Amino acid sequence: MTNLLTIAFTAFFIENILLYQFLGVCSFIGVGKKRSSSLGMGLAVVVTIILAGMATWAIYRYVMEPLDIGYMKTIVFILVIAALVQMMETIIKKFSPALYKALGIYLPLITTNCAVLGVAITNITRDYSFAEMLVYSAAIPLGYLFVMYIYAIIREKLELNPVPKAFRGIPIAMILAALLAIIFSRFGGLI
Amino acid sequence: MGILIPPLVLGGLGMILGFLIYLVAWKFGVEEDHTVRDIEHLLPNYNCGACGYPGCKGMAEALVSGKAVPAQCKPIKKEEIEILNKYLEALKTGTPVPAEVK
Repeated sequence: MTNLLTIAFTAFFIENILLYQFLGVCSFIGVGKKRSSSLGMGLAVVVTIILAGMATWAIYRYVMEPLDIGYMKTIVFILVIAALVQMMETIIKKFSPALYKALGIYLPLITTNCAVLGVAITNITRDYSFAEMLVYSAAIPLGYLFVMYIYAIIREKLELNPVPKAFRGIPIAMILAALLAIIFSRFGGLI
Repeated sequence: MGILIPPLVLGGLGMILGFLIYLVAWKFGVEEDHTVRDIEHLLPNYNCGACGYPGCKGMAEALVSGKAVPAQCKPIKKEEIEILNKYLEALKTGTPVPAEVK
């Protein structure tokens, strides 16, 4: 139990996917401009990573490992993730048009998001059991959602403040991301 | 013999996933309004972006909602633009689409 708690805390704060592992940063800078879109993207990532984590873990454990073809994991995982997102999109479109509208362009974007593949591969390289894998693949995207939301709030406030002309837009967003990363790196001292 | 295992696994997995996507699309697919798709077919489909929209699909959506005019499309040919105008006219007045458009 403590093991699972450690994994969850580490994944959420210390090894935050955006600020420590630097995965999925393109969506961080791109979508983190508005609170509503950051929330939509974050929720889509949560669902995708949990589903993709389970699917890739099962395929690796029960198909690839017995056949001794673990080196194929990158290409197989990309295939699985792309197919999964495609199916999810169709199902969401049918049952919840409102959610489909809200997620909109973010769903196809997730297919090529390195964060999803990163989590799937970390699950394998760290040799996680099913429960550990589930906790890790839930905590990582929740950390993503959390950081993304904080970032969007600050960037919305930043729009109203006098930023020097040379720093307006992306440059100040990068500096902001760096400051957040410094804050989050301090969590490392806790464990 | 061992070299055959990775392609077989990858191919098999691709086939299973493809079949699953087909099943899901067949079971849960939603009929969409086909006007945007029809107009997209009438455009040159170069996706050049000269009209100011992201690709021909964006242009087709703008044409349906009335935000764009066909003249914004630069590479379209003269006879093609006449067909497109006819289609849009039929769409606006609610009359059935002329047969030569299809």
